[in-house]
Amino acid sequence: MTMKGYCGRILKVDLSAEKSHARTFDEKYASKYLGGQGFAVEIVYHGVPEGADPLGPDNVLAMAGGLFDGFPVPTGGKVAFAAKSPATNTLAESIMGGSIGPELKHAGYDALEITGKAVSPVYVFIEDDKVEINDAADLWGKDTRVTPETLKKRHGWDVKVACIGVAGEKLSKIACIDCDDRQAGRAGLGAVMGSKNLKAIVVRGTSDLVPAEPDKLLEIALRYQKIYEAAPSFIEDTKYGTGEFLGWVNKEKGVFPTRNWQESVFKEREKIDPYYWAPRYVTKNKACFACTKPCGKLFEVKSGKFAGVAIDGIEYETLYSLGGQCGNADVESVARANELCDLLGMDTISAGVTVGFAMELMQRGIITEKEVGFRLTFDNASDAVPRMIEMMGNRTGFGDILADGVKVAAKKIGKGSERYAIHTKGMEPPAYDVRGMKGHGLAYMTSTRGACHLRAGFYAPELVGKFWKWEGIDRFSPVNKGFMVSQTENFMSVYDSVGLCKFSRGFFLIAKLPEVIEAITGMKYTEDELLKIGERIHNMKGAFNAREGMTRKDWLLPARILEEPIVDGPSKGSKISVEEMNMMLDDYMKARGWTNDGVPTPEKLKELEIA
Amino acid sequence: MVKMLVPYPENCTGCRFCEMACTIWHDGKVNHADARLQVHRRNVKIDFPSVCTHCVSCGDDCCVLHCPVEAIKKQDGKVFVDEEECTACGACVEVCPFGVMRMEEKAFNCDLCDGDPTCVKFCPTKAIVYEEPKPEQYEKVKKLLEVEE
Repeated sequence: MTMKGYCGRILKVDLSAEKSHARTFDEKYASKYLGGQGFAVEIVYHGVPEGADPLGPDNVLAMAGGLFDGFPVPTGGKVAFAAKSPATNTLAESIMGGSIGPELKHAGYDALEITGKAVSPVYVFIEDDKVEINDAADLWGKDTRVTPETLKKRHGWDVKVACIGVAGEKLSKIACIDCDDRQAGRAGLGAVMGSKNLKAIVVRGTSDLVPAEPDKLLEIALRYQKIYEAAPSFIEDTKYGTGEFLGWVNKEKGVFPTRNWQESVFKEREKIDPYYWAPRYVTKNKACFACTKPCGKLFEVKSGKFAGVAIDGIEYETLYSLGGQCGNADVESVARANELCDLLGMDTISAGVTVGFAMELMQRGIITEKEVGFRLTFDNASDAVPRMIEMMGNRTGFGDILADGVKVAAKKIGKGSERYAIHTKGMEPPAYDVRGMKGHGLAYMTSTRGACHLRAGFYAPELVGKFWKWEGIDRFSPVNKGFMVSQTENFMSVYDSVGLCKFSRGFFLIAKLPEVIEAITGMKYTEDELLKIGERIHNMKGAFNAREGMTRKDWLLPARILEEPIVDGPSKGSKISVEEMNMMLDDYMKARGWTNDGVPTPEKLKELEIA
Repeated sequence: MVKMLVPYPENCTGCRFCEMACTIWHDGKVNHADARLQVHRRNVKIDFPSVCTHCVSCGDDCCVLHCPVEAIKKQDGKVFVDEEECTACGACVEVCPFGVMRMEEKAFNCDLCDGDPTCVKFCPTKAIVYEEPKPEQYEKVKKLLEVEE
């Protein structure tokens, strides 16, 4: 093996045939896709046949550690999962900070490809060259804490475990994958594991990872650690977690979606603001692998009806989804609902948005207390939210109707409920009311996995007003957003491929990555070459989705965003009109070199060497 | 004053940067199994570093005492393995109460990086501090480790 920094191998496990096989790749492959998301997307793009059922044996679940994974690069330890999503029917990736990515590299694999379906519950155990498919009958039905604990007692405390909870077993389209109390939350990839009867992936790796320039790498690591230590946003993140800017988004910008997007300012915000709860409930900081600026908080409730709750949270997104979105101003209830989502293995964003959606339906009399079994209302949120989350994860009672997210629920409920189902492409939106940030609204449409704040990460440029090479960005203007979003999507695809945390993107721009990549691999890149790789990865996702029949008409924003202006606060009166939406989409397609229908052209694919 | 690595489990976030920095500095590669200290990431509540105490808190479970060929020695407060004499039998690895006596071709342990410990330099949360030994901190770690026996 001559390639530095890479293992040069991808492990394929076929659960139907009960076989595994490692294939090698060369420097050309590495330089085409980098690692992490790039590898995972390539594996799914080439591995999933057209029209495959996302919950059938033909779907492929890929897992790949980023290029930086396993090496001491501050915040560079992210691992990517990808598959055809059961929620959106698109190629979807989900990224998490669990230590299983680095561990897989120590076992000798840059990526893992899982195909087929086991006849009964199993877990995959990988220890260097040894690969076993083991019976998981005793783990089926267990939560995401008992499962890894049981497996660690069996295989040793140093193994790393990624697993699903009951929601994934029961094929909830909003089920997530858990590792180290961190989640690859979005797009229902937990259900893909469940559909394969795969409860967990367990890894122990003992081989060396050898960087090209060890001393240089250590120097870079210390330099960035010092930069992070001095960065004001990271200082606040470390004290208060990612919810640190909740007050600012809510009060100063007025784009914090509240009560199922009926309002955009949560008036009881102070009760769920980390500036309130961090000093009272946080007992310890938690970090992802290789992160030197821990935004994870151990949140513990010591007394009252939610006593005993202990979670790594509460993240900004969850403060919205299980908080403001549901009108829930009881932070202990938010924490309990968060804990239930984690234990049952459900994405907090999608789960919370779905509960808030059902609450609006009850508010409007579309569903009744009798049907649901209790008062699922905004003014009863403290009790109702955790209660409904538990029912959704276990698919009991009315929870079964909500367990697959808003799109499926609206279809089952009917009676005009579709109007209140806020999603694009079948995925529930994160915590930014895009009526007051139009480029981010475009990003909700162009995101290949449905409404997402991280495919383009365009909330930051629009809220701050500047990013990367741009200044004076006006969040209320649709002008030039098509081009900018296409650029930041490429940026983020690179980020997810090297495995860096997106919170670092303000200081750790793409232009700074070649130095680090060279210290690890010895391979040289320019900023433009890296962005080309990002463009390639995004185009593969776009081409996959077009192949599955998804075109521009399927990307559009929900009616509420197009028709109902923001009712109060600093963004009052703002919405995205149909004209603005179309203009941004037209610009985006041009910037991408795609047809106006959202299909990557053969010329574009050829230019990017996508076959 | 003799200084040692002192672990503060309550400050550890489980990022494992110390392990990576340790092996890059010593060996030019990353391998957690060769790190001269260990981070345990057990569950949502518990992460902690385990370090070599250089005899401060090992009691009877002492690598120096258990080495059958007396290859492990102590000088100027530091425990080290005499490679010439080590037979790689593994007795020290077995007995080390902190799980930080390591084995490749020969046994090896923390050398405090010639007085400027790399792990301390890279720990972002002061979960490992280079200071006067604090036996009560080592006891905390020992107690946490008992679960994993």
